[in-house]
Amino acid sequence: MATTPAIQTEALVKRYGRSGATALKGLDLTVGEGEVFGFLGPNGAGKSTTIRLLLDLIRPTSGTVRVLGVDPRSSHELRGKLGYLAGDFVVNGRQTGRELLDYLGDLRGGVPRQRIDELAAALDLDLSRRIGTLSKGNRQKVGVVQAFMHRPPLLVLDEPTSGLDPFLQQQFVELVREASGNGQTVFMSSHVMSEVQQTCHRVGIIRDGTLVAVEDIDDLRKRAVRKVEVVFGSPPGLDQIAGLQEPSLTGNVLRGRLSGDADAFIKSIAGFHVTDIVSEEPELEELFFTYYAHPQEA
Amino acid sequence: MRVFWKTVRDNRRGWIGWTLAVTAVASMYASFWTSIGKNPEMAKAMETYPESLKEALHLQNLNQPESYLASSVFGLLVPMLVAVFAVSAGVKAIASDEEAGTLDLVLAHPVSRVSLALQRFGAIAAVLAVMGTVLCLAIIGLRGPAEFPEVAPSKIMAICLQLALFGLFFAALSYAAGAWTGKRIAAIGTGAAVVVLGYLADSFLPQIEGFGWTESISPFDWYLGGEPLRNGVQPGHAALLLGLAVLLAAAGTWRFNRRDVTV
Ligand SMILES: Nc1ncnc2c1ncn2[C@@H]1O[C@H](COP(=O)(O)OP(=O)(O)OP(=O)(O)O)[C@@H](O)[C@H]1O
Ligand SMILES: [Mg+2]
Repeated sequence: MATTPAIQTEALVKRYGRSGATALKGLDLTVGEGEVFGFLGPNGAGKSTTIRLLLDLIRPTSGTVRVLGVDPRSSHELRGKLGYLAGDFVVNGRQTGRELLDYLGDLRGGVPRQRIDELAAALDLDLSRRIGTLSKGNRQKVGVVQAFMHRPPLLVLDEPTSGLDPFLQQQFVELVREASGNGQTVFMSSHVMSEVQQTCHRVGIIRDGTLVAVEDIDDLRKRAVRKVEVVFGSPPGLDQIAGLQEPSLTGNVLRGRLSGDADAFIKSIAGFHVTDIVSEEPELEELFFTYYAHPQEA
Repeated sequence: MRVFWKTVRDNRRGWIGWTLAVTAVASMYASFWTSIGKNPEMAKAMETYPESLKEALHLQNLNQPESYLASSVFGLLVPMLVAVFAVSAGVKAIASDEEAGTLDLVLAHPVSRVSLALQRFGAIAAVLAVMGTVLCLAIIGLRGPAEFPEVAPSKIMAICLQLALFGLFFAALSYAAGAWTGKRIAAIGTGAAVVVLGYLADSFLPQIEGFGWTESISPFDWYLGGEPLRNGVQPGHAALLLGLAVLLAAAGTWRFNRRDVTV
């Protein structure tokens, strides 16, 4: 890659305390500029640990971290180019959303009020209320606003939509897409497959402190199995169908599962009268499950 | 200075409350001078107290306004209030915020840890200065009405300055313990332990044979031992309180800048 990666870690090890657990065991991760990168893995895999290292909240035991080309430890100014949101967004509840956002905006050298108001309106968030009186989801929205408001080159999001209802998760997906459209890089840990599927270009899967796979979402899509349903005027025999897994014929309806290239299947039914065809968006969730499975079950 | 002003803003109610409380308590006791210190009956009653108890409680020569003010106003309740306030403010600066999980967010912004921590500590120093000033003005204002005009304003200023430094020392102590460990309980424990031990070392311990020296290592002695109401500012004591406060704050900040921020 010609440009500096947005995030690069090499042999990154993090042990908590002198005798504590080793949360990261040599993580090698590269996230390119402009990418939306999903960071997946089971609970306790080391996602939050990685993210907190990127923000210099905790320090590596060994190995290197580069964020936008610099060591997060070396300069606090780097964080001016970052937006951070944790799933359990907590702040002093005695201030209003407006007060908090003004303060955080000031720390960043000023954020146009109009931008804050736009975001708040898009998320249907009342900034004049004290944060302590907001519901969990509404509090999380304040977090979303502070992470996105200054249009940072790199967004680091740790389970950002936890507590948001489906409608707001969708709003969030839109925000990420918009950010991506602006050329911003997004690094996001998540347990919500639908949002990963809708936003990410690549996903990395971490397990037990090491990166076990990095996949391109488009490749995954191609490999993924999708359900197909074809309705015929008069059905062919099952033996005439090619390229379809687990084909079954009920009346005029043919059902089965398709993976990879669809050409053979389409050619095989081309000579028959097809009145309808339905193919579902592939479910990546099932693919990820194999990575999530706990070692003893795998 | 954004963190400084935000700290002031977030704490304004509590800080105003404490300032008023300390000033009210001090003013109340100061205005009892006419009925207690100047009252010959009281003086006679005091004479019957055992000398060692009076020494422990700094109750000698109560018929002089300087002594009366030093023992009843500035002797116990006011420094205790100031110490408790200072410890609680010091704990809040880093440790409470960190334990509540709210420190992460600010530290994810372009502000260095050192600057953040020092601005917060600076805000505490500022409120202690304000508290000392308000208290000082109140007591100076009471010289006429409460009939102790012979106590010079400069002496009242001296004791208020030493009181503020005394508070700064405890604020720095609990701030440092909190910044060093990130644990609220460690910060509260350190502050409270030194308040209690410091008080004992200045009052009861010296009464025990061979423990006289403990007085000289007590922050209470550094604050009041040189009788600033009679002798003015004690440069040695003031420098000791200030120096230790600076050292503690620096050490805590140094460690805070190096360690992991926990959740
Ligand atoms: N402050 C800490 N002290 C000691 N161990 C910790 C600390 N924080 C995390 N760990 C350990 O490090 C490992 C990784 O934790 P981490 O929070 O990074 O997981 P995660 O992938 O974010 O999990 P989740 O999906 O539940 O958020 C876990 O085994 C956890 O117990
Ligand atoms: Mg996590």
